Amino acid sequence: MNPTALKNTVFKSTGLIFASTLASAVLMWSSASFAAGTEYNLRVDGLACPFCAYGIEKKFLKTDGVKSVDVDLKNGLVIVKTKEGKTFQEDTLKTIVNDAGFTMRSVKKKTK
Amino acid sequence: MKFLNRLLVTLISIVALLIVTVYIFWMPSPQEPAYTLVKTWGSKGSAPGQFNEPTGITLSDTELFVSDARNTRIQVFDLNGNFKRLFGKKGDAPGQFNRPMNVVIAGNELYVADYFNDRIQVYGLDGSFKRNIGKSGSGDGEFNAPSGVAVASNGDLFVADFYNQRAQQLHTDGTFVRQWGETGQVGILDGKFNYPTDVALSKEGTLFIADGYNDRIVSFGPNGKPSAKWGGPFAMNIFGPFNGWFATVTNVSVGPSGHVFVADFYNDRIQKFTQGGKFLNSFGIENTGPTHTAIAAVEADDGSVFVADYANHQIQKWQPGK
Repeated sequence: MNPTALKNTVFKSTGLIFASTLASAVLMWSSASFAAGTEYNLRVDGLACPFCAYGIEKKFLKTDGVKSVDVDLKNGLVIVKTKEGKTFQEDTLKTIVNDAGFTMRSVKKKTK
Repeated sequence: MKFLNRLLVTLISIVALLIVTVYIFWMPSPQEPAYTLVKTWGSKGSAPGQFNEPTGITLSDTELFVSDARNTRIQVFDLNGNFKRLFGKKGDAPGQFNRPMNVVIAGNELYVADYFNDRIQVYGLDGSFKRNIGKSGSGDGEFNAPSGVAVASNGDLFVADFYNQRAQQLHTDGTFVRQWGETGQVGILDGKFNYPTDVALSKEGTLFIADGYNDRIVSFGPNGKPSAKWGGPFAMNIFGPFNGWFATVTNVSVGPSGHVFVADFYNDRIQKFTQGGKFLNSFGIENTGPTHTAIAAVEADDGSVFVADYANHQIQKWQPGK
């Protein structure tokens, strides 16, 4: 193989590797985006008592489509993360919080 | 003019009488010397001897058992705070639990209110699993977040059934005997509860129910009939920081002295009463953070009181004043 042909082959191979890497990255990014759920930050009053805080955690963990629940006592927030593709209406979230004995003041939705 | 003066004097007298009445009846003074904090141990973490939200505490003759709720385990110490052992595993299989809350020892067995799994779990004091009692639901013998348990001398269980707004009495095998409160109905009048958090029994069989958000203790005689209630004026959900008042009751226990100890969570203190509800003493560590300290207490034979300190992830040991 002459030097020019070798150069062309190297360029072609490099291009192919670059293109396939780029395609894989795009594919991984899109599937990651598709796999991500939704995060809801619920503002709830009176979370200082663990009987209450645990009650809210328990109610959400028993709700279909909920991946995790964290309680941020300092800021009075309940952070609910959902499984892939699962979303909740505000009224549903309110009902779950009410069932746990509390009132939901507000909700912020974050889609990843 | 004379009439108006008389009216004014009468009104002032009535107001003064009211203030004196409130002060005498609803703001009692301590009846004994102050308790002294002699020791604390523990910090936030998951290593042996550390805690992540301790929520319940009880004693055998020589050991202290603490439910370490978010670490999902029971930790055992000697009465000087030296770590001895731990047990428990997160899950819902027999022997596993999730968020252990108030605990009690009876007949060399440890009873754990398994809050997330809606059952009472029973262990040997060495941590060996014995049996569980109850399941999820609102029927007889079923629970919705059991939060506290007491055991009678005949083995009957009394369970604070938090979200079902009741306390149940069950036989050892879990069969239903009776209940106090209306299932799922919150109320402040007699016969109803507002998220009961714990129960305790005296040697004579009097049942004490910590009526959590009603800010009161309600007691029932061995015949099941009401015997006393206390916590602020008229024990009707009037909360406050004064002696004998509560702000969310999370635990009740009857000590070897026969006195009743109540965890007054939002006031960061333990209050001590006679079984009739007469205020005797209070003690605790104030907290400035978003949550609170004194969540449960137990009295030892020598009069020392051990307190599960939720906010500081530690145990407090108090001794009575002399």
